[in-house]
Amino acid sequence: MRRRILQGIWGLIWVLPFLLLLVLSIGRQWPFPALLPRQWSLAYWADVFARGGNLNESLLFSLVLSLSIAAIATGLGYVTSRQIAYHPKKERWLLLAYFPYAMAPVILAACLQHYFLVLGWSGKWSGVWLAQLCITYPFAVIFFSGFWNQRMQSMEHLVTTLGGTYWQAFRKVLLPMSSSALLVCFFQTFLISWFEYGLTSLIGVGKVQTLPVKVFQYVQEANIFLAALAGCLLFLPPLILWWMNKRWLFRQG
Amino acid sequence: MKKPLRLLSWAVFLVLAALPLLAGWGYAGAYSLGMTGLLHKGVTLAHWQAVWSDAAFWKSMGFSVYVALTAISLATFFALLSVVAWQRDFRRGWLSYAVYLPLTVPAMVVGFFTFNLLSKGGLLSRISYRLGFTDSLVAFPDWVNDPFGIGIIVAHTWMAVPFFMLLFYNLFQSEGLVSLGQVARSLGAGSGQVVRKVFVPVLLRKASPILVLYGLFVMGSYEIPLLLGTQSPQMISVLAIRKLQRFNLMDVPQAYAVSVFFVVLVVGVLVLVSGRGKRWRLKSKDGVLNQKMAS
Repeated sequence: MRRRILQGIWGLIWVLPFLLLLVLSIGRQWPFPALLPRQWSLAYWADVFARGGNLNESLLFSLVLSLSIAAIATGLGYVTSRQIAYHPKKERWLLLAYFPYAMAPVILAACLQHYFLVLGWSGKWSGVWLAQLCITYPFAVIFFSGFWNQRMQSMEHLVTTLGGTYWQAFRKVLLPMSSSALLVCFFQTFLISWFEYGLTSLIGVGKVQTLPVKVFQYVQEANIFLAALAGCLLFLPPLILWWMNKRWLFRQG
Repeated sequence: MKKPLRLLSWAVFLVLAALPLLAGWGYAGAYSLGMTGLLHKGVTLAHWQAVWSDAAFWKSMGFSVYVALTAISLATFFALLSVVAWQRDFRRGWLSYAVYLPLTVPAMVVGFFTFNLLSKGGLLSRISYRLGFTDSLVAFPDWVNDPFGIGIIVAHTWMAVPFFMLLFYNLFQSEGLVSLGQVARSLGAGSGQVVRKVFVPVLLRKASPILVLYGLFVMGSYEIPLLLGTQSPQMISVLAIRKLQRFNLMDVPQAYAVSVFFVVLVVGVLVLVSGRGKRWRLKSKDGVLNQKMAS
């Protein structure tokens, strides 16, 4: 019984943010000391799907940005990490890939800002895209470095011993074997890009308005209802991905 | 792999992973030493001296370390407790699903939610008023934008607990701690002793490199302290970016000096962690060898 109660408290602590954000996203006027908003409206949600709405452009651009970055970073990371994984000094090279995370992406952005300004990429979607690729690609390399192990190398050798080419080994053996890993890496890199705020705001100089930038903007304007709605839009795609992961990917595995 | 493809792979890695780091560090270092920038007058250590002698910088460093240590300690405690007590529930049931939920929320949203939960006008303040614990909005304590970083610590702990739970649970399985616990019990250890002397030391030792890395991540975090922090003390990333964005151009070299200092700190810790990781691996290999030789 005590175990159930404690687990229930944990569950409540985890679910509370989702509930609060959903409630605020459909609320209007929340004066103290009311526990719930005084008025309810789905107008902001409807606005998301209406033409010229406050958030639909940000939502669309953020989706395109994160999906394209996830695809490119995963593809490049998959192919190039093989070289690093089989290098005798693998750990030293991988250390380079860890830095953008350990030193904070926003600090990296501060150090790189000058180059983006000089090259005219500051304040542009293309600049933010490139900057985000500089943090998602190293992650993909780290992710796949464990995948390229002795077993994979033996598989490749087996195919070439049996007369197959490297391309055949890649297409017929390695690629099918790595489909789950590719999908997981795609999800992870999508999330890194989707969640990124500091680097985006610094390189995008406020002109590139992804959803996290919008959340901060609404918080600064003290518009908690729109901030909550933008927050919901931020956690919904990862929730769907998580559900797909659990339902489909893990079941397959 | 064919040679052109091999070369192309290295080129991509160098351009996308190594070059941005080296170019960024190079520029920041040069700017902080007065070698470049709008007001540069030749090589000088004046900006570094200004940072070293600035109490706000040391306060900021101390505050970042304090927040990271507190959040990591709290998250480690709660995660260890949950995994050791409920490790069977992680395999199936609602807990195995729910533990992933907080991982789908970005730091910016966690900061926003924590503000709406812990601020004077937030949900907890309203509940406390309804229950008669406080008689007005201002009577509720300062839990966000406070000098002790309570809001920042709560937000980071909330984010870290599920991640650590998954980490400890996976280690629990991979290290075969269930069997180790049974062996300890059959040798006469009580449940408390098994937890204190077997589970906790093994889990902490195996997880320590990741705990250190997560600590660095918290120290360098930006979104949460930006929303929930104060003007003084500030977390290190917020201090660096605010200095960079000020109108006073004399602050820019100092912003880069702060950034370079943080980078050097991170590099040092990473090298230390990777070195210790190697030693641990070697030690464990030796341990296995010794066991084999003994048997």
